Amino acid sequence: MNLDLALPLLLLVAIAGGLAGSLTGLGGAVVVIPALVILFGVPIPEAIGTGAVTILATSSAAGAAYVRDRLSDLRIGMFLEVATVPGALVGATLTVLLTHADLEDGLLVALGLVLLLVVPGSVARRHEELPGPVTPDARSRSFGLSGSYRDQVLGRDVPYQAESTSPALGVMFGAGVVSGMFGIGAGVFKVLALERYLRLPMKVATATSNFMIGVTAAAGAGILFAAGFVNPLIAAPVALGTAGGAFVGSRLLPRLTNQTVRLVFIPFIVILAVETILRGFGLP
Amino acid sequence: MTNPPVPTLPDAEYRWISSLLRGGLVISLLLMTGALAVYAVLHPGLTLSAAIATNPILQFLGLSGLAAGLARGDPAAYLTLGLIALVATPILRVVSGFYYFRRGHERGMEAITIVVIVLLLFGLLVLGPLVR
Repeated sequence: MNLDLALPLLLLVAIAGGLAGSLTGLGGAVVVIPALVILFGVPIPEAIGTGAVTILATSSAAGAAYVRDRLSDLRIGMFLEVATVPGALVGATLTVLLTHADLEDGLLVALGLVLLLVVPGSVARRHEELPGPVTPDARSRSFGLSGSYRDQVLGRDVPYQAESTSPALGVMFGAGVVSGMFGIGAGVFKVLALERYLRLPMKVATATSNFMIGVTAAAGAGILFAAGFVNPLIAAPVALGTAGGAFVGSRLLPRLTNQTVRLVFIPFIVILAVETILRGFGLP
Repeated sequence: MTNPPVPTLPDAEYRWISSLLRGGLVISLLLMTGALAVYAVLHPGLTLSAAIATNPILQFLGLSGLAAGLARGDPAAYLTLGLIALVATPILRVVSGFYYFRRGHERGMEAITIVVIVLLLFGLLVLGPLVR
């Protein structure tokens, strides 16, 4: 395919990725990576490298809006990065080693399975608008892991306080490993940790995940850059499209209910998981 | 005796970090858009598969290679610089958080942000070149 023809298509895919990524806190790479491999024939290592760039663009574009609107919680995000960053360093190193051992198809199947694991929990909480009462642990109280946001749909300020910080830190380390390995934001796990363990409202969880994924991706990006997995001719148009899609998504999120955000989140994961597993097994 | 309540981060800090993220992104996108346009003009008829095969970032992985590429106006070097700006933006955001918590004498959060900065630099400067 000629680059003149491919560039507009790449931009369209990236806009869809940025829009979905910013709305769900996923980062958008879960849309972009399979599309690059399946539609454009981009090799898996370079698709993973481009995925990291996608996340960086989504995180900065959507993060700027969510932070300004106080929808992202800066303190909770920065607190949890102490777990995601070392995870990302481990994950990116693993990916380079697995690729050198020609285990790329295995990587795809593993990514698909990892995505499917998240679905049952999200389905179980599909009718929950706001979390119930929480019992903050000592770490949550001493670090001040609490806040409030203005919910435009409910028309009131919604206070929240984090609980269960230990399991959340564990899940965040795993999210970092997955992010570094697959070039995705691993927002599915970050949202899971923020919503299910810390018990934050869904919109705060997705906005804080969006804010955090940039740092996790930056940690893995250095290794992916050095390994030659980032091709700027592919990554640059994808970054441009993703930033545009994320900008639109960040304008939409405050107007949606928490239940709607979750309903957007679930089918995306299922479709991408199945698509990725089939691809890993060499099926179209 | 109970600890004093931890202060909520002020609006000014939220606005500053929002501006930092937006500024870094805009610089990065401007660099990449301009460089991509020049690259397309200089390489008419380039196919996607050829673009994949000739990954131009490989010659700019070192600082001297990147500086030389920028000096001779190579659009691929400017594309790489745009990507570096994109990676640097969230790192600068962590550094900004560190200074905020340092000013507020929040030792716990200050320690956490410094650990994150050290790990990020370790990944970029040590682990990256090692796995290459």
